[in-house]
Amino acid sequence: MPDILRTVFSVDFVYSALRLTTPVLFAALGSLVADRAGVINIGLEGIMLFSALTGVLGSAYSGSLFVGMLCALVTGMCIALLMAYFSLQMKADIVLTGVAMNLVASGGTVFILYSVCGDKSVSTSLTSMVFPTVDIPVLGDIPVLGDILSGHNVLTYLSLLAVAAVWLFLEKSKPGLRIRAVGENDRAASSVGIHVRRVRYGALLLSGALASFGGMFLSMGMLTYFSKNMTAGRGYIALAAQALGNGSALGTFLSSLVFGCAEALSVSLQGVGLPPQFVQMVPYVATILGLVLYAALRKKNRPVRKHKKRKRGSTT
Amino acid sequence: MKKILAITMALCLMLLVFAGCGGQQTDDPAAPGTDAVKIVLLINGTLGDKSFFDSAKNGMDLIKEKYGDKVETQTVEMTYDATKWTPALIEFSEDPDTDIIISGTWQMVDRVIEVAPDYPEKKYIVYDAEVDYSSGDYSNVYSITYKQNEASFLAGAASALVSKTNVFGFVGGMDNVTINDFLVGLIAGAQYVKPEMRFTTAYIGNFDDAVKAKEITLSQINNQNADIVYGCAGQAGLGSIEAAAEQGVYALGGDADQAMLFKGVDDAKASCIITSILKRVDNSLLRAVTASMEGTLEWGTTGSFGLSDESVGLAENEYYEAILTADQRAQVEEIKQKIISGEIEVPTALGRDTQEVKDYIDAAA
Repeated sequence: MPDILRTVFSVDFVYSALRLTTPVLFAALGSLVADRAGVINIGLEGIMLFSALTGVLGSAYSGSLFVGMLCALVTGMCIALLMAYFSLQMKADIVLTGVAMNLVASGGTVFILYSVCGDKSVSTSLTSMVFPTVDIPVLGDIPVLGDILSGHNVLTYLSLLAVAAVWLFLEKSKPGLRIRAVGENDRAASSVGIHVRRVRYGALLLSGALASFGGMFLSMGMLTYFSKNMTAGRGYIALAAQALGNGSALGTFLSSLVFGCAEALSVSLQGVGLPPQFVQMVPYVATILGLVLYAALRKKNRPVRKHKKRKRGSTT
Repeated sequence: MKKILAITMALCLMLLVFAGCGGQQTDDPAAPGTDAVKIVLLINGTLGDKSFFDSAKNGMDLIKEKYGDKVETQTVEMTYDATKWTPALIEFSEDPDTDIIISGTWQMVDRVIEVAPDYPEKKYIVYDAEVDYSSGDYSNVYSITYKQNEASFLAGAASALVSKTNVFGFVGGMDNVTINDFLVGLIAGAQYVKPEMRFTTAYIGNFDDAVKAKEITLSQINNQNADIVYGCAGQAGLGSIEAAAEQGVYALGGDADQAMLFKGVDDAKASCIITSILKRVDNSLLRAVTASMEGTLEWGTTGSFGLSDESVGLAENEYYEAILTADQRAQVEEIKQKIISGEIEVPTALGRDTQEVKDYIDAAA
């Protein structure tokens, strides 16, 4: 037991938790923006995977990190656009569209990787540019806090900034207000002249852009290559984190942090001799517990937003 | 109306299924189109993994090279969709031209023993897994298992020779017998050279999550003081190599010569890989097919291939020679000869009680 405590309260643990939070946080923020506009972006996993790949390809062939980032960003937004087109324009079910995107991504990325560099699993034959790590000048000198907060990847700091930016955007800006209005009640929004479909298009695009940073962090920050299915379910965990976050940017950040800690825990607990099968369960048990807690809290307080029931024609 | 239609369709489907079951083996297979022996390799995944499956494909190429027109080889990628595996197996078993069907991994074993008894005139080779011959008549199936523990023993010995902190960080894909067989070999080999070598062990839970592999390895290096690590987890294992390169410690590669993956692209990674544990699926398939062509292969048995057949081994490349001194390499070579001669008996996880294996691993922690 003291071993476990020593592990959990170590600098390395918190540092590692922050690092593992980053990809989930980006995707969860993406999910948040879409959700506030009343569309569920299930396709985060696929967007991350595609962006992870195109970021590596773009930066390896251009030799520029910026071009790689641009490639990944554009890819993420294109996929979001495609999803928006299918669901908003063609009226396909958004959940099915998202699931389809995830399936396409899992095979499609391997296909692209194979056609570009002849590999079917990893892109190690390419030299990808990597986002640098940053040492924060003054903060880095503070003993414990500095060790935890300084020296992270630039994308980790960006994800923290994104939390504030998304909060400002949703709560304080005009487009943010529109997104919220559309999400609360699209008919009311429409009645005051808001172009509902256009707002949702915009929200999905932003969602794709945010998620693509999560993908970039995996292949160009945490690792330096693309590896098939490297997202390993993080897009889905992000959905849960967003749901737990109760529709706010800060809540989403906190719940993402919980998942980051759970995953870091599943890494460091193995070092102290707990059975691996038990430890691997930790992030998922955290998900379920979190959702239950969320449901309980919601029941207690008044629901923030009511989801309207969708009418369906009878099938017989 | 719709209900009637649905029921009719369901009945039709059921009839089709039953008809399909009864339809096999109605008459003698047609005479083969050519005299060449047709060998089919069914891959339950895709090529390009740079290790296991690619090695099997290379085995097919070696067979073709050796026998030329006498054989016809075909490699089929069945993808990772497990629902396609049995149908593909049946399809090639039905094909009158096919003579030998090769497939690997423990996931295929159950499927092969389900299909093989229906086609007694076909031959099946299963690699990296063993058929339980006591459970039925599988006289047309040959199993190949690898003594990965022997190669691991050598790698463990080499690791112990270069380690300064005497802590080895092991990251497995899953807590299963094959992965643990590697680990048991590593432990035995390392402690043969240095009894004080300790092993810190962790598992990812899959073979995809390279990010987690890297995170675990970083934790082993920073918290447990490991200075040699091995990610025994397919492609996710590359995450461990990345962590090692970043932290300036040594790593082992697996299945294929992984230093060659990075050579010229990322020399920092290539030069931290002291050696790779090779599983030469290609050599073992060539051996099995050669024996079959010569009529000496004992169908219905298991062949276990190890160091002496060059079916497992260490990658002795330039990095290996640069990191280990001549003395150390000689020491490893001596151990290799002792294993081949049987002087050293390498423990294995295969066929042993799970708890017993766990205790062995825990004892080294």
